[in-house]
Order: sequence, then C-alpha cells, then structure tokens
Amino acid sequence: MATLTASAKRDLRHELEAIVGPGAVLSDPDELLVYESDGLTLFRALADFVLFPTSVEHVAAIVKLANREKLPFVARGAGTGLSGGCLPAEGGIVISLMRMNRVLEVDYDNQIAVVEPGLVNLHLSWKVGPHGYYYAPDPSSQQACTIGGNIANNSGGPHTLKYGVTTNHVLGLEVVMPDGEIVWLGGKTRDANGYDLAGVFVGSEGTFGIATKIVVRILKKPQAVKTVLAVFDEIDRASEAVSAVIGRGLVPAAMEMIDHLTIQAVEDAFGCGYPRDADAALLIELDGLTVGMEPQAERIVAACREAGAREIRTAKNEAERLLLWKGRKSAFGAYGRISPAYMVMDGVIPRTKLPYVLHRVNEIVAAAGLRVGNVFHAGDGNLHPNLLYDPRKPGDEARVVAAGAEIMKVCAEVGGSISGEHGIGLEKSDFMPFIFSAADLAFMHRLKGAFNPTGLCNPGKIFPTKKSCGEAGAVAYRPHPIEEKGLAQRF
Amino acid sequence: MPDALLDKVRAAVGAPNVLTGVELSPYVVEGRTPEAAVFPGSVDEVAAVIGLAAEAARPVTPWGGGTAASVGMPAAPGGFVLGLRRLSRLLEHEPGDLTASAEAGMTVDAFQTALRGRGQWVSLDPADARLATLGGVLATNASGPRRHLYGTARDLLIGLTVVTADGAIVRGGGKVVKNVAGYDLPKLFVGSYGTLGVIVEATVKLRPLPDHERLLCIPFDRLKDAGAAVRALLAGDLIPNAIELLDAAAGAALGAEGPALVVGFDGLREQVDWQCAELTRLAASCGGREGRPLPDDTWPRLETAARAAFPAATAFMAFSVLPSQVADLMEQGAGAARARGLASAWAAHAGVGVVRAALASDVRPKEPAALAGVLTDWRDLARAGGGHGTLEWVPLAVKSQVPVWDDPGAAGRIMERIKAQLDPRNILNPGRFVAGI
Repeated sequence: MATLTASAKRDLRHELEAIVGPGAVLSDPDELLVYESDGLTLFRALADFVLFPTSVEHVAAIVKLANREKLPFVARGAGTGLSGGCLPAEGGIVISLMRMNRVLEVDYDNQIAVVEPGLVNLHLSWKVGPHGYYYAPDPSSQQACTIGGNIANNSGGPHTLKYGVTTNHVLGLEVVMPDGEIVWLGGKTRDANGYDLAGVFVGSEGTFGIATKIVVRILKKPQAVKTVLAVFDEIDRASEAVSAVIGRGLVPAAMEMIDHLTIQAVEDAFGCGYPRDADAALLIELDGLTVGMEPQAERIVAACREAGAREIRTAKNEAERLLLWKGRKSAFGAYGRISPAYMVMDGVIPRTKLPYVLHRVNEIVAAAGLRVGNVFHAGDGNLHPNLLYDPRKPGDEARVVAAGAEIMKVCAEVGGSISGEHGIGLEKSDFMPFIFSAADLAFMHRLKGAFNPTGLCNPGKIFPTKKSCGEAGAVAYRPHPIEEKGLAQRF
Repeated sequence: MPDALLDKVRAAVGAPNVLTGVELSPYVVEGRTPEAAVFPGSVDEVAAVIGLAAEAARPVTPWGGGTAASVGMPAAPGGFVLGLRRLSRLLEHEPGDLTASAEAGMTVDAFQTALRGRGQWVSLDPADARLATLGGVLATNASGPRRHLYGTARDLLIGLTVVTADGAIVRGGGKVVKNVAGYDLPKLFVGSYGTLGVIVEATVKLRPLPDHERLLCIPFDRLKDAGAAVRALLAGDLIPNAIELLDAAAGAALGAEGPALVVGFDGLREQVDWQCAELTRLAASCGGREGRPLPDDTWPRLETAARAAFPAATAFMAFSVLPSQVADLMEQGAGAARARGLASAWAAHAGVGVVRAALASDVRPKEPAALAGVLTDWRDLARAGGGHGTLEWVPLAVKSQVPVWDDPGAAGRIMERIKAQLDPRNILNPGRFVAGI
C-alpha cells in the first residue's frame, strides 16, 4: 500500500474536493478520529481521508482515483458494525455513505422500494408505515444502522426467525465495482438472469464493491401481533422451550432469550417489567392473521409451560408490547449500567444444542474470571454472549479475546458458525479456519478475485491473515502507521 | 475418448458405473452424445472423476434427474455426463433444528417423503419432483407455486458441498439457519447450471407441515379482471401460499372454463376457511365467478400448466417481470403469437412476477423464423418493463436465432470473470449458460 507524503496528501485532497466538494472531505487527524473504529472499539485504524459523496458518480470517481493512487478504500455506513468490518486498512479512504440516505422510490403495487445505502434501516419502515407496509430485517441497531451496512453484513434481527435476513429481502443493487465501474446486480424482478450476483454481493462485507442503490422488498404489516414473555427459573428450561415450540410445528415471528444478568441490566436502565428473580425469559412474538392467533398462542404457552415456565405474561396492548421489546432491543446499551465495557459474540448453533452450549459458555467465561450476559435470537440459535470486562484492568481485554475464541470454537464443534449476523470483519478473520478448510477459503478467495482483483476494496477482512491460523489473542491492537509517524495520536 | 482415460474413470468409480456406446441413449441431448456417462458413488469419487476430466480437459455435464437437460445452449460435444443418482442418501434430519442435509442425487419426492414422516417439509415444489433431484433443482433454481409465500432455493439453501472444476471438495454456508461467515456460496451456486462446480450435498431450512392446505379456483370472464383481483389480493391482509394466474388455454388444462385465478392457503383450518371466504368476496368484487376447491393433486400440475395446454408444445419460455405487469404480459404475449398465426398458453406465479408461456404445436407455420419472431416479441415485452425472459425449451434450430438466455448487460462481464476464476479450463457445462459461459 502506498504511504502518502504530506504534499501528496495535500494534492489528493484538492482532487477529492473537486469530486465531492470542499465540505465533504476530512483529512485532519482529529477529524478522522471519529472514523477510526466501528461499534467494536477493540480495533482502531485511521484513514487518510473520509469522504461524503452524494451520488453514484461521486463514488465511482473516488474509487477510480483510489485505484490510480493504489490507495485502499472502504465504504462506511453508520459505523454500528461489530466486527471492525468498515475500518480502513492502513491509511487510505473511508467513503461514508451517510449523505446518500434517500428513499428514491416506493412501489406499493409491487411491494418494493429503491433506497440509497445511507438510509437508516428504521427510516424505511417509517416511510412506508403509513401505507401499511414495513421493511422486515430489524437489527437491534435499526434506529441507527444503515441499509447499506445491512447489505455488507447480511444483517439479521429478532424477526428474521420467520422473515429471513437481509439477503432474503434484497432483489437488486446498483454497485460501484472495485475498479469504479457502475453495474446493476439483479434488479426489481425475481430469479436472476444468470448468476445471482445480488445474492453473492449481500454479505460480502464491502469487499465486492460499494452499493449505491438498493432494491428491497417491503412487506404488508400483519393483521395481528401477539407478544408473550415466558419466565423461567432455570435457563435450561428456557432452552428446552425453544425446541418444544418448534417441535409443535410453530414458527413464531421471533423467539428471544434474555438471561438473568441481562434482566438486571435492562431493569436498571429501563424498568421494562422483566422479573428480576428469573433465571431467564423468552420473548416470543407471533404475527399473522387475527383468525387463529389465539389457538396458536395457546400452543406456544402450552409448550413453554410443559418445558417448565413458571409464568407467562402477555402484552395487553401496543405500549406493553413495545416495552417488552425495548428491554430486548436496548439490552446491549444497558450493559453499560453494570460494566464499563463488553464484547459481544455472535456464534450460531443448531438450536437443539442450546442447553449444552450455554453451559460451555458459562464455564469458559467463569474460567477466565469474567462475567457474561446472554441476550440472543434463541429461535435461530444465534447466540450473543456479552463478555463484560474493564478495559482499565490489565489483562482483561486479552482474557476477553481468548474466551471469545474458545466460545467460537465450541460453536464450530457443535456444527455451528462463528457469525450469525455481525460479520467476520477484522475481528473473526483468524477464526475462519474453525469452520472452513483451506480449500473452502481458497475458493472464496478466487471468487473475491472476480470482483476485487486488486484487493484495494476493503482489504484485510474476512480471510485469515496469520501464518498459524486460529490462535487466540490474534486481535490485539497494532499502532497505525500515521501514529507511528507522529501524525496522529490516541486520546 | 482415449481408452486410457476411460480406464482411469472405470478404476475410480467401478466399471459398472461407467456407461458407453448404446447405453448412452438416455443422455443424448439435442443430438449430442457424450463419450461416457459416469456415476460416482461418493463425494470422493465425484472429485476423482472431475480431477481426471480436468487433467484431460474434457467437458463435464452434471446430471441429476435429467429434467432440465435441454435447458440452455447445447452441451459441448463429447466429454462426460456426470450422473449423481448414486448419491441419493438423506444425511441428517434434526426436526428440532428445522434443517436437513441430503446428497444431491436424492429426488425431491424421496426427500420430501422422508421429511414428511417427521412432520416437516422443504418448501420447494418444482415440477417433476419424482425425477428431479435436489442438486438439479438447486442448480437450475427450479421452483413451484408455493414460492409465493416460501421463496425459492436461494431462501432455503443454507449450506452445500461442491466439487470444483479442479476436483477439490469445497463447502460453503453451514448447517445453521443463520450464518454470515464467509461469502454466500449457496447463493452463487443456486441457478448456476452446473457451470461453477458440481453440487454433491446440500443443507436446507425446513418448515413444519401445515395443519391444512387448500387450493381455490376462481374463474373469470376476462384475464384483465383476474389480474385486478391479484392486485387486490396482494394489497390486502390475506396470506396466500400461492397465487396462480392462468389464461383460458392454461386454465382449461386444469378444468377451468376461461381465465382463472388459483389461490392456495395453508395454516389452521379456521385460517384456511376464513381466507377462502374472504378471497371469494374479493374476487367477486373484481368480476370473479363462484370459486371451487381443486383436488390436492392439482398442486404439482400448476408449475407446468402452460405447457400442459398443448399435447406437444413447440416452445416454452419463462419470464420474470414486476407482478403488476403479469396480466398485461400474458395478454400482449398471446396477442403477439396470434398476430403470427400461433396459439399460446400462459400461466403465472402472479404475486412474484414469474410467468410461463407455451407455444402450440398444431398451428402453422412452424418454421423457425416464425417461432423466433414470436419468442423475440415476447422477450421484448418482458424487457420493456425491466424484466427478462429465458427460453426453457425450443427446437435446436431456434436456439441459433434467439438467444436462450437474456442479455445480462454489464453484469455479464462479472459473471464471465467469476467463471474464469472458478473454472479456468472451462470444463463444467461449457457454453451452456448466460453470456456464453
């Protein structure tokens, strides 16, 4: 990668300003600091430039310039990612898409919308809500995260149990390819003409190009919604209830687990009415037709009681429902009440392995002398152990990272995956060999070569970087070259 | 084919599993006979055979049930047919996980039968399920009427094992229902027509079997009115699992008189009852006549309703358009055929904009030029609304006049680069697919 001299940087800034305008270029180290990490603050790296394009032509011109200068570049949405996926490599350009945030078109007849990548996820549902529609993928960060970022990570959310993840809702994308060419992948109609390039692009973590327009499906809001909280004195019983519900032939819209520690944090922060003395609670939502809602809810309640639920609470109105969901969706933030820092894991397991894996997680965390809060998509088997720690305590961070690696290994051992929705990014790249062979990774690397042959588009992500792959503790902070040169420092 | 190569192949899979000479007749496609048909009995044997083919630069045509063998440009001359029929085992089915894994040569029917025994199913209902294999259905992205609610292979396939063009065994995705680790290889392989690798194992998401399911057929006097009923249905609260729009010719094959709207519902009995009543009311407001339930054995006939309208249709074509354009495409397409003196039949998965048309066999002229003219008109109609059209079956002579696959535009270059990266010697189904891939 090129290292920029001060004068080269000045010249480049002028060229970039000519593309996006003077108010859309950041290059002072103190301004760049805001963009040095995403939601996972364990990793930090400074770019040479952060740019704010407002059109696909801007993005294409930036990418062509980056190619000419052999500068790495990476697209960035709201920066809520949890795997370091939108961090710059070693200098280079961060292309922020936050000013490309329009809903370009809504076609209710065909139940699609065309949006720009910087649109905040929830804002699309706000836009189409008055017409009785919504956008189904609902990551917990949906008030802040962008649809472009959701594309990169193939984001999920609680309701993906029934409705699928981002990729199931994307029909086509306009993309600036890593060489600056503007191409449509897929379109507004179903069944790709040729390879499903839109499907391949979604979840490629920004390594296949930059989406500048996105065609998404919007869904009719269901006629009826029923939300219950099943309370358990033992988390194992809650885990068993998950399989019991599925075993009765029911697929709820969402089935979320909240453990004892998380209940404390959430109650401290919001007072959602979760019982503090419970060992775990399952938040279960059914949606669909009004007809048949009651008998289906009864089946779920019966399955939970049989599994050992001590109490079932039902939201009596929309306000109560939203309060129950507030506790779930704001749980990560609530950990701030009980711990100065936390690191969230994202493993996925076959849901029948839940009791075993939760025990293993607890053992691993206890052995490391840490605490863990579990709040996760139980219906999907998508775990989110949150390892609580104090970054000021020497060694805590390294212990968290090591315990995280062990948890990922357990998920892999039971036939699961190391990431369900947060992406591999920088954080998990060295753990890819837990679930993929060298041949698997080589094949993926060749696929990357078809999209991104120079590697300039979001380098250093997804693929293992170290010679001895999969060692714990691989993710320690390394000083950025700009810091080493004294051009920037860390506060 | 040199005897030495055949001997190596026989050694890899066992001599009885290599067919040559007259035994190859089931594998002749459009007059092209392969040099051998090879039936490996394990993933390792598939890898060995492809490794040998790669070494000798012989083309390989993966073969499941053969139900889509004539889709696409004609196979390259010579080379192997690689049959997956011996890879037909159910590998794993854990009902509590709502997932199952099977070998690619298992037929869809056999797979569904095994799953049904434990109260579940994979929500894919392609035509010819008795013959069609899981791998073939994935490779051709085949689907059926229930895709309206449950999606297509891309929504259900969560993991797969492929043998690549150099004989490596590669896994993508996994066995869990939610997984973003690594590139989405399942999406890459769905609909890739065997041009990037041979699917040997697949893991899919399952659903519980519904308590009840019913198909309701509502005849209309005019297709346009049935189209209006589809729009009203889509805008309402009902949750159909299938919305089929049939013109008079396709409807007749299902016993309907005139154009028909066929809608499926599943769920609890009271949900199905209520929705059928609501649908009847909604359809009546658009000019629909009294509906009647169709027997369960209608389901597998819906996917092929257009082609079944004629004893031996001359051509079938599939289109993807916006749902709002479906009825217009059907009417204008039929008009374009009539203008050239040809009869056609049309059927659509109307809620998702997937339309199929068949050209009659008993109407003259049948010269390739007239056929080509109609098919080109049809494609133009689909393209005008941003859609595309694929020739699913036409006489070979027409394939040289009308491209089987629609023009993918600039995306075609990316597809070519993917093919070059993953099959650099161009041995997997060469020349059969989009953009000359």
